[in-house]
Amino acid sequence: MEQPGGSPPHPARDVADYELLFDCVHCGLCLEACPTYKVTRAEMDSPRGRVYLMKALAEGRAELDDDAARHFDLCLGCRGCETACPSGVRYGRLIEDTRAFVEANYRRSRGERMVRRALGMIFPYPRRLRAMLAPLRLAERLRMRGLIRLALSGRPREWIELLPPLAATPIARKSAARAEALDPDAPAVVVHHGCVTQVLANSENENSERILAAAGYRVTRLRGTVCCGALDLHSGNLKRARKFARENVRQIMQSGADALVSAASGCSTAIAEYGELLKDDPELAGPARALSAKVRELSGLVLERGAPKFREMRCTVTYHDACHLVHGLGVREAPRTLLKSIPGLRLIEMPESDMCCGSAGSYNLTEPAMARQLARRKAERILATKAQYVVLANPGCEFQIAAELRRRGSRAKVVHLADFLAMALAD
Amino acid sequence: MSRDQSSERRTGRALLAEIAAIVGGDGVVFRETELKTYECDGWTMERSTPEILVMPRTATQVSGVLKALYRRGIAFVARGAGTGLSGGALPVGAPVMVCTSRMNRILAIDPANRRIDVQSGVVNLHVTNAVKSRGFFYAPDPSSQVACTIGGNIAENSGGPHTLKYGVTTNHVLGLELVLPDGEIVQLGGAAEERCGYDLVGAVVGAEGTAGVVTRATLGLLREPESRRTILAAFPDADSATRAVSAIIASGVIPGAIEMMDRLIIRAVEDAFHVGLPTDAGAVLIVEFDGYAAGLDERAGAAVEIARQHGATDSRLARSEAERALLWKARKRAFGAVGRLAPNYVTQDGVVPRTHLPKILREISAVSERYGLAIGNVFHAGDGNIHPIILYDERDPGQVQRALDAGREILRACVAMGGSLTGEHGIGAEKMGEMPLLFSPDDLLVMAELRHVFDPDERANPNKVIPKPGACVEVAAPRRQVPV
Repeated sequence: MEQPGGSPPHPARDVADYELLFDCVHCGLCLEACPTYKVTRAEMDSPRGRVYLMKALAEGRAELDDDAARHFDLCLGCRGCETACPSGVRYGRLIEDTRAFVEANYRRSRGERMVRRALGMIFPYPRRLRAMLAPLRLAERLRMRGLIRLALSGRPREWIELLPPLAATPIARKSAARAEALDPDAPAVVVHHGCVTQVLANSENENSERILAAAGYRVTRLRGTVCCGALDLHSGNLKRARKFARENVRQIMQSGADALVSAASGCSTAIAEYGELLKDDPELAGPARALSAKVRELSGLVLERGAPKFREMRCTVTYHDACHLVHGLGVREAPRTLLKSIPGLRLIEMPESDMCCGSAGSYNLTEPAMARQLARRKAERILATKAQYVVLANPGCEFQIAAELRRRGSRAKVVHLADFLAMALAD
Repeated sequence: MSRDQSSERRTGRALLAEIAAIVGGDGVVFRETELKTYECDGWTMERSTPEILVMPRTATQVSGVLKALYRRGIAFVARGAGTGLSGGALPVGAPVMVCTSRMNRILAIDPANRRIDVQSGVVNLHVTNAVKSRGFFYAPDPSSQVACTIGGNIAENSGGPHTLKYGVTTNHVLGLELVLPDGEIVQLGGAAEERCGYDLVGAVVGAEGTAGVVTRATLGLLREPESRRTILAAFPDADSATRAVSAIIASGVIPGAIEMMDRLIIRAVEDAFHVGLPTDAGAVLIVEFDGYAAGLDERAGAAVEIARQHGATDSRLARSEAERALLWKARKRAFGAVGRLAPNYVTQDGVVPRTHLPKILREISAVSERYGLAIGNVFHAGDGNIHPIILYDERDPGQVQRALDAGREILRACVAMGGSLTGEHGIGAEKMGEMPLLFSPDDLLVMAELRHVFDPDERANPNKVIPKPGACVEVAAPRRQVPV
């Protein structure tokens, strides 16, 4: 047994910011807020356990073995623990740094390395992703997607199942509103189109712009969208994350926007952290901080200028809180308030609405087993509400939840908030 | 490798295989890195890694595991969510840890008889959540209630802010299923509200895991109060606030809870949660009345008047349920908020007769000065249960020792004022050395004999709670010197 007052701990390794690790007082109030703890009920799959491991690693009291890497990998990075934490532990920051430490010091199996490398090579580049999906899109047009799915097995089949319909026209898909705002002095908002979002769910970008214009904002556009770097931040590739961040800072600042929103909440929080990510950048530290301060969220912005006129929609809706929206940006009430302002709409709350659905960026591709368990849990909560629509504000959650509901033969529609509001806009 | 070591390994492997056969492969943890996360609970001053962690799902599995340990004479410690603040779940000479976190099923809800049957790993708050829609609640509400388990509450006889009116865990446990250290499953108490014979449930509640492993509990439920009034009163100093506490109780009105926070805590909480506490106040009281709506305003009004007479500069009523909830959230997360002030802290838990509160608080501030450590106070003032929070930095060994010594000095002062060593956190590993302050060797012997009725070999959470006269120093030597 180690004695109190024995040799003082000291950092032997640079796992994460050592001082920040001391914010954790080991109280355990985070346990039940952690999706992976909810599933395994084991300390090493809890935020407190992970922070404890980070500290033990940093102090040289533990080694970065298969177990340590495994339990860090299993973290969704949903940051539900940050909302629960009374001592203000900056868990998101800690786990991102730790992931970078793991990538630099731990060798995964060949299969895992290939999966991770492939994701990193394709997802941030819309053209590559489109090219990859072209055959599937064709198959879908020929009504043969089902056959392809059946022909596959294992992980590729699960991945295909997660993809939304590629050829169908999504609901409320209308041409991007270039409607001039009535007030030339209205604040300018830019929608970051995101790398995966623009390929798989571009209606959410266009409808975000449409809603913002309807609420009276001037909507400006970027010349081209560069990946925000969230994928890299969450997989320990800080170097490329910084590169993407720098490109985005330059481009978005040039656009002269007063506020920035993204249809993907993970992108929003990533950009909100640019200030921190680029704090040592000699040229862009200041602009990055300024940009981070401009990150907003669709419903909050809309409410600020007064909700636009919605038509009556007699339907039942349940709202799922995307992790980075609720735990990262702290947005909980605004989307609900906006939804409830739609005449005829009845909002039915599900329990654990702010618990991760397992999508978590590319988590459902790299950790399919845990992701699936969380999807099941989420689907059960949703189905219990008997709501006709599941509204959420993140494409990743949308694909994940829709896939699980499809598997269960549910007829509930999973719709992004922007698409839903566009549907409700009175013409 | 010596013969001893290799035979030890063989025994270890055989035991692992036997346990895995009982609870399944995913129910046993034996690799070092994973076990490391179990080396301390909410009491972080000491750590010790278990050799095997078992995560059973049923009483039958617990029984099987304890039988396997019994045959080999191996000691064990039970753990729930690991939120305890006295090291109750710290393994001290207990190689095997039995964690009840997966035993989290609510077995039966019986509204007509106002009771609920739960497995011991069910989270405290989940009990109330399960019966809220029917208008009931489970009264004990420790600050860690979002995470701590009923089993842990039973072990430590946990309280909470509303202890003042509703009592602690033991007042709400009707019956228990206990797996004795030899693996036998016994039922104690029962569903009936009145019982005869010796109160064996009462002996197990608060035994801190030294009687075996509780696997199921029948808990009493209370009707959700019709209405509540929650008052926040600001005082110039802790002295006037605690005098007001005694006066409120003496006046005959019984609030559901009276909580106090001093200046250091007020500021930490306000920084963290922005609830609108008066940061210029020396102390605040949260006074809550609950019950039938009729007469509630009169009682709250009386308390406000007493507070004013004792120097309260401002008293206000929570205007909405949201405001009340925010106030309680701030109060319950105050401990964590203190984490923002210093790298580490240790929460002490002592009790004094209510009228001695001003005196003990003066003593605490003298201790704070003497040891050069900041100490904040947030506690259940209504029942005299103090929680001085001592701030320190674990990277300075001098500070760690001073924090321990300061805590002990405060406890000695509590006992000298006719108080007790713990209100709700338990003795655990932390305060075993202080037990002789409160109990004579004969008292301790009787306690040990009672424990032997359940656990004759002292294999259930060994080296906790009761110091052994003579052997005590030896037992505690690896940790710290305990004068008996």
